[in-house]
Amino acid sequence: MSGHHISSAKFLWGIGFALFVLTFITVAVTWMHIPAPWNVVVAIGLAAIKATIVAAFFMNLYWDSKYNLMLLVMSFVFFFLMIGITLLDTLFRNDPVPAF
Amino acid sequence: MAHSTASSSAPAHLQHHFVDSDQQFESSKMGMWIFLVTEILFFGGLFAAYIVYRAWYPDLYVQASTQLDTFWGAVNTAVLIGSSLTVAMAIRSAQLNQIKGLIINLYITIGLAFTFMVIKYFEYVHKFEKGIFPGQYYTYEGIAHEKANIFFSIYYMMTGLHGLHVIIGIGLMIWLLVKAKKGAFSAEYYTPVEITGLYWHLVDVIWIFLFPLLYLID
Repeated sequence: MSGHHISSAKFLWGIGFALFVLTFITVAVTWMHIPAPWNVVVAIGLAAIKATIVAAFFMNLYWDSKYNLMLLVMSFVFFFLMIGITLLDTLFRNDPVPAF
Repeated sequence: MAHSTASSSAPAHLQHHFVDSDQQFESSKMGMWIFLVTEILFFGGLFAAYIVYRAWYPDLYVQASTQLDTFWGAVNTAVLIGSSLTVAMAIRSAQLNQIKGLIINLYITIGLAFTFMVIKYFEYVHKFEKGIFPGQYYTYEGIAHEKANIFFSIYYMMTGLHGLHVIIGIGLMIWLLVKAKKGAFSAEYYTPVEITGLYWHLVDVIWIFLFPLLYLID
């Protein structure tokens, strides 16, 4: 079965170290004051890389059943569907400022 | 599936409706992944609110996030990543039948989770002292934007729900610790450690997105 992959301690520490470095980079790029909207793109891009590393090597999806990976991917597909359909409304209102 | 003698040789943890330990383990893990999908969509609603309001009031986010301390946000990110590492090490210990290592890693994880909540507590108290409360209770005068309370409603909902998940995670880790000390886990059976680990990593991943979206806007 695919569910019993055992990572070496060295490998896990390496992944942890990579995540610490990426966290530092996430903070450091804000010191450069990248103009909008690219600052958001860079911040989300770095967060997505970190999240992918956690999902692949801490949550073991890299070695796991492809079905579990599909579940995760589908959750993001439906999340983007929700965001997309919501923004089709909120971005195109004649009176964009709500009472709340 | 020639398991005619399964009932006589089945391990104690194996429930009768599973063929073998592997099938039971894979089923539990898949169930946890389905729960994590609902968690992602649960937080997704709040991320949707964040995105809609950021599109409406981009200046608000730039002004209001100056009230959040990037240093402590970064420290908390490191604390949670560290706790994800110790959870991964705890699972590895269980897989290798190193129960002492499992217990030590669970203790460190609980310690890091408490560290996160203590830092979060001081961040909240610091804001409350200024009158930065969510919604209609907002009284702070320092942000020149009429919708400043909206940002902090979103901030408190997202970090509050995340903090609730950390507290539930602490409870689960203590439960694992008690079971581990009773000798419930071994290389043959560590399913609760594995799926609690999955939950904890998801809590980490959500913070990985919350940190830049709330603290690092400018």
